[in-house]
Amino acid sequence: MKSRIAPVAITVAAVMMALAGCSGGSGDSGGGSDQVTLQFESWRPEDAAIWNSKIIPVFEKDNPGIKVQFAPTKATEYDAALKTRLQGGTAGDLITCRSGALNRENIEAGFIEPLKGFTGLSNFDDLSLSYWASTNGDPYCVPVASVMAAFFYNKDIFTELNLSVPKTNAEYMSVLQAIKSNGKYVPLAFGATPGDAWVLAYMGLYSEGPNYWHGEEGRQGLIDGSKKFTDPEFVQALAALKSWTPFMPDGRASVTYSDATQLFALGKAAIFPSGSWDISAVTGSTGLDVGVFAPPLPKAGDQLYVQSHPDMGIGINAASQHKKEAQVFLNWVASPAFQTIYANALPGFFGMGKEPAKLDNPLAQAWADLKVGAELTPRVEDILSGGNPDFETTIENSLQLMMTTDKSPEAVADETQKGLENWYKPQMK
Amino acid sequence: MSQVSVSRRQATRTAPDESREARRRRRMSPSVFLVHGVLIFFVVMALGPILMTIMNSLKTQQGIFSGPFQLPTATTFSIDGYLRVTQLGDFGTLYFNSATVTIVTTGLTVGLATIAAFAIVEYKIKLAPVLSGFFIIGIMLPVRLGTVSLLQMMSSWNLVNTTLALILVYTGMSLPLGVALMVTYFRSVPQELKDAARIDGAGEVQTLSIVTPMVRPGLGAVAALTMLPIWNDLWFPLILAPGRSTQTVTLGVQQFMGQYDSDWPALLAALTLGTIPLILLFLIFSKQFIKGLSEGYGK
Amino acid sequence: MRTSNSIHNAATKYRYLMLFTLPALIFYVVFAVYPLFATFVISLFQTTNGDGSFIGLDNYVYLFTDPTQSGHFWHALLNNLEFFAIHLIVQLPIGLLLAALITSDAVRRLTGFYRTILFIPATLSVVIVGFIWRMIISPLWGIIGFPLLGTEATALPTLSLMSIWQWIGIPMIFLYTALIAIPKDILEAARVDGASGMRTFWAIKFPLITPQFGLITILTFIWTMNGFDLIYSLMGGAPGPNYSTDILGTFFFRTFFGFNNVVGDTDYGAAVATVIFLFILISTAGYFFVLQRRLKPHEL
Repeated sequence: MKSRIAPVAITVAAVMMALAGCSGGSGDSGGGSDQVTLQFESWRPEDAAIWNSKIIPVFEKDNPGIKVQFAPTKATEYDAALKTRLQGGTAGDLITCRSGALNRENIEAGFIEPLKGFTGLSNFDDLSLSYWASTNGDPYCVPVASVMAAFFYNKDIFTELNLSVPKTNAEYMSVLQAIKSNGKYVPLAFGATPGDAWVLAYMGLYSEGPNYWHGEEGRQGLIDGSKKFTDPEFVQALAALKSWTPFMPDGRASVTYSDATQLFALGKAAIFPSGSWDISAVTGSTGLDVGVFAPPLPKAGDQLYVQSHPDMGIGINAASQHKKEAQVFLNWVASPAFQTIYANALPGFFGMGKEPAKLDNPLAQAWADLKVGAELTPRVEDILSGGNPDFETTIENSLQLMMTTDKSPEAVADETQKGLENWYKPQMK
Repeated sequence: MSQVSVSRRQATRTAPDESREARRRRRMSPSVFLVHGVLIFFVVMALGPILMTIMNSLKTQQGIFSGPFQLPTATTFSIDGYLRVTQLGDFGTLYFNSATVTIVTTGLTVGLATIAAFAIVEYKIKLAPVLSGFFIIGIMLPVRLGTVSLLQMMSSWNLVNTTLALILVYTGMSLPLGVALMVTYFRSVPQELKDAARIDGAGEVQTLSIVTPMVRPGLGAVAALTMLPIWNDLWFPLILAPGRSTQTVTLGVQQFMGQYDSDWPALLAALTLGTIPLILLFLIFSKQFIKGLSEGYGK
Repeated sequence: MRTSNSIHNAATKYRYLMLFTLPALIFYVVFAVYPLFATFVISLFQTTNGDGSFIGLDNYVYLFTDPTQSGHFWHALLNNLEFFAIHLIVQLPIGLLLAALITSDAVRRLTGFYRTILFIPATLSVVIVGFIWRMIISPLWGIIGFPLLGTEATALPTLSLMSIWQWIGIPMIFLYTALIAIPKDILEAARVDGASGMRTFWAIKFPLITPQFGLITILTFIWTMNGFDLIYSLMGGAPGPNYSTDILGTFFFRTFFGFNNVVGDTDYGAAVATVIFLFILISTAGYFFVLQRRLKPHEL
């Protein structure tokens, strides 16, 4: 019996290859002759349902002939995948832009369409626009959302243990101690695993720290070289963060951000230092009554500083075949109408337009109220991140060690400062 | 078959002069229990995690975290994860894409590797070991490092977001190991067989097809080793074919992984659904795979 | 008797060889070799603001002379070697144990069952492997209170064990096939002589399968040096507690694609990729070279 496996396999393969080549096809923008589908890149797959059911239909109803396809990529792969697609010429028409250095790299490489003269930009102040601008200051993406960092707390647990919302660090420490002594609940839903070390920075140091280094005063000082990371106010901020460790869950070196979220959502932890984006994660089906309080002040009467970080913008792919239609979409994104829909569909993502949107969600409103009387500051990254050794990896690594071993705040400050001085010119004096 | 050959077959399985009594004693001895005990321990370690995934895919998010090792109870049982997965509607497409890419690549790899390996073994000229070595180096090549170049290539041929692009890349990637393995199998084919065929007037291609059944286990081995990393690969579908109509299962499952937290019930449901076909495919091929490695194997 | 050597002359053989290998060669060269070569070419450039300029081997000089970069590189290399060593030390004995057990007399009809089941973890995606094991060793939800993945000393070994768990089927199968290839008459003779199972194993079977160890070693080396997926799935792009889980693959990924807010450098990353490949190539070639010299006297 002669076996014909090889030739048969090849024939089958050839046939299937022909079929496979027909399916798919390059690019998904197609459809009818006068219908355009815009591909919309994003790093938030979890928002797909909301975009598809609440936001995009509104746009498509008013703009027949333009369809928008929300095509997200998992957040941790987004930057790598987007860059590769931009280089290969296969990226979508609409691009969700990170703020800061990552996006600036794409801008300088010519991948993003400049928005100079775009009428919708008048809805935003210069500061907001600057986060998505080139080094020359020209705007490239429309600001869509900023996020804040603060402290969620479980109102029922506070009532049960007779606790009041802390305003100063001393009050905060005694609240934590009271919860720990009671023993029923974990005081802080906060983990220190290396894979989520960014949490220690974004929702830890950069949340409670600005109260110590006075927000923009400290951050700009680092940027222009007038302040050093080893200055006392930064070391105090680090020490304050380290003082949280006795109140974190057992085995905190392996507790992930997801674990911490679940811990709080299951009602097992009292306080959850996190960002405004978690409003949906801790309310809704969890059935919890959740409140929020601002980062504790070093002393009563100090000025409050709250982190408000520009998170998301939307821009146009410079190589897009449908720039006209994409601009129509961006026009709508820049409008107050969109801002209201968006802020309410995705509570915790605050619009950056001059007209603040009206918020239906009470918890989202409570977050927005934190800004009253507070000075706002974004995270200490942007210009500083990157470099050799890169600032972000260095500080997050040091923070992770500080929170899980006996590494001291002074040592962290030293390492971070030395790292900066290795490459960042203003700090190299 | 006649009685004589049956008993002869039986005789080779047991010691020549072991009585029935001795045999039974051996089967029940404590060492047997020990052996099976250890093996069952490893089986539990191998299967346990998979069963845990399936079990947790049938719970609510809270159910998963309040008791990951417990079976779903009345309060924690939920098929919402599966509902959300099917609601996205694409799962059939995901399966089809993964299956197409995996099966076609495997077929191509097996076919082309067989033909090439036959030639490398058969035509004993100086070039043959050079070609053989050239393929063997390929086993070490980390193809992922050539991604940008591949993407530009596919883009210029208008093949981005096609399953064909994936097939081409995966075939190129899998051929080195395929050729190397098939070479070892072909080496064990007796020269006389090929010569006899030629004496009978067979051409080269016919000789090849005569010889191929002898290396059939090798085909199974190459097929199994090729398909495993392709089905589970995330990288190339992400870069070369991320479009909705060409996503593979592994890529599609990612849509349940949010920036900050994941939709665990849906994610686990998608993972379960995604893994089962591969396990089935593998079970089908495993017999050939094992046979292949055990029969033709030599260095 | 006519042999193939006399049926065809050298020219015909050459023609057929090329004809039969050409299809495979085309796929391999176009889609695997050329892109890697192109990556090497990229490493000779530096791109600023979209414009590339030729800088020769400067990227390589930077990698090896800059204290931070070379520190990271050598650290990643050492970690990778540790990763490889743990795999080798654990996989071989356990693979051997499993192979021996499933070929033992105690297991007759169930051999196929065990063989297949123990191989199934190799079919799983790293997402499942990561999720399950992370759950099991989580101090919050699982059965182990000590934070294994977050502590510098235990992170890499823990990841190695997870990877071994997934791939144990492969050394098991290799050793299994070698065991069942042992001629039955040798084993019969031993049994007739009264040798017990254990004695037969160590005195007869074991020496006959030691050649497999070399193959398993080299394949484990290549696979661990190219390893990336599981660690990435569990640790994200982060290099682990105090860089303890940073191996060559993750170092390359961070360099080439960036991490969180840190921008990646394609050209420099390409240089890192080339260096990694050369390292694997030289090590493997060195291994074969040494193997050749050691085998020669034996084969005589």
